[in-house]
Amino acid sequence: MTAQSSEPVLRARGITKSFGGQAVLKGIDLDAHRGDVVAILGGSGSGKSTFLRCLNLLEMPDAGTIAIGGTAAPLRYDGKGGARVTDARALNALRARTAMVFQNFNLWAHMTVIDNVIAAPVHVHGVPRAAAIDRAHALLDKVGMAGFAGHWPRQLSGGQQQRVAIARALATDPDLMLFDEPTSALDPERVREVLDLIRALADEGRTMLIVTHEMAFARDVSGQVVHVRDGAIESMGPPEAMFGPDASPVFRAFLSPG
Amino acid sequence: MSGDLAFLADTTLAIARAVPVTVGLFAASAVGATLLGGLLVMAQTRRGTRECARLWIFVFRGTPLLLQIFMVYYGLAALGPIRHGPLWAAFREPLFCAFVAMTCCCSAYIAEVCRAALAAIPAGQIEAALASGMGRWTRLRLIVLPQLVRLALPAYGNELVMMIKSTALASTITVMDVTGVAGQVIAHSYRTLDVFCLAAAVYLGLTGALTAALRYVERRLNPVEGTR
Repeated sequence: MTAQSSEPVLRARGITKSFGGQAVLKGIDLDAHRGDVVAILGGSGSGKSTFLRCLNLLEMPDAGTIAIGGTAAPLRYDGKGGARVTDARALNALRARTAMVFQNFNLWAHMTVIDNVIAAPVHVHGVPRAAAIDRAHALLDKVGMAGFAGHWPRQLSGGQQQRVAIARALATDPDLMLFDEPTSALDPERVREVLDLIRALADEGRTMLIVTHEMAFARDVSGQVVHVRDGAIESMGPPEAMFGPDASPVFRAFLSPG
Repeated sequence: MSGDLAFLADTTLAIARAVPVTVGLFAASAVGATLLGGLLVMAQTRRGTRECARLWIFVFRGTPLLLQIFMVYYGLAALGPIRHGPLWAAFREPLFCAFVAMTCCCSAYIAEVCRAALAAIPAGQIEAALASGMGRWTRLRLIVLPQLVRLALPAYGNELVMMIKSTALASTITVMDVTGVAGQVIAHSYRTLDVFCLAAAVYLGLTGALTAALRYVERRLNPVEGTR
């Protein structure tokens, strides 16, 4: 982990969320500092993906505060229903400083690979098109997709699509990268190529939150492991402690059920 | 025999002269119905205007186009403000009335086609746009509209083909379109089959050209087999 600056890249406090009366998140606090790689583990339905999606407000929390790089998300709570956005432009500006990699890639199907990668830099950040294209080619090279700029998402395998999606996420040089089960939709033999890429990003000092089921990956790559259970953080700590002999029994039961 | 040929030649010429009326009515109504249909789709995203849009669609999709044409042409003429107002210059023209009725009717169908296409855009496509920080208009222009057009095109094309054929109803309010002229020729000559066949051939040519154009656009928008 790199030296921690005073202002965390992410500060989430008291995030709660329920769907139709069912409490999915019961008050989660989490900080991430510059260069942190946080692995979020938990069973299906534990709320880990919902928590991640609250951080860039794809889900509106019912309560709680979120700040990215010291800037608070423009939310207001007026008692009933979830959060209300008080300033749509500020919300978009906040989202633009983060990037998300989805389980199902979500590359824009009507755009070629290169257009997917330059869309946010050009249309959100105002980067000149030529500069964005140069950078996109460099990023595609970095994720091992150099020859595919003119391809359509449909022509690519899942692993290739996810690597393009990671290039797309990197294109805006985000302060915080959110990975929502990035390898769960991949064939087993494709998982490795994506994990290796994320590992390389971790080595560069990217600040990342990764929701994953890949335990070995979480242990090897992350600096912090968070175990979410029933909508709350059950235990958290550095991987040596979490996977060591003094680990929480609940987490250990989660790792090897039965 | 030579009389037959001369008759067919004259009839063909007369019907050919009516083609611009049919095509013009179709083109104007298609543009009008598409714009109005888009407005109806937008209206349905907002409370208050949603009910108005639904009612419009319910009424114009649920009643015969022929009745709507009659109501605009004969019905509105019975209303004082129309008859004696500034709009009379337009509403006394049967062609204009047919245009109004077809625009209203087909806008309802096009709105439904677009609503279905909008609902068919995968949520992940929109979420990726939101997560990247795109504002409402950027999202609409860059992601939603291009995907909507691709999804809606087959059903929209079908709607346009139906519209070409529906223009024939305008002949019932004295519009001299292809069908109107054919009817007029028959009234003079009492030759039904060959004249109607000629008219049908004209419609086939028009719908065939439109279908080919639509297929071309569809292929241009989907360069890879199986892409959306």
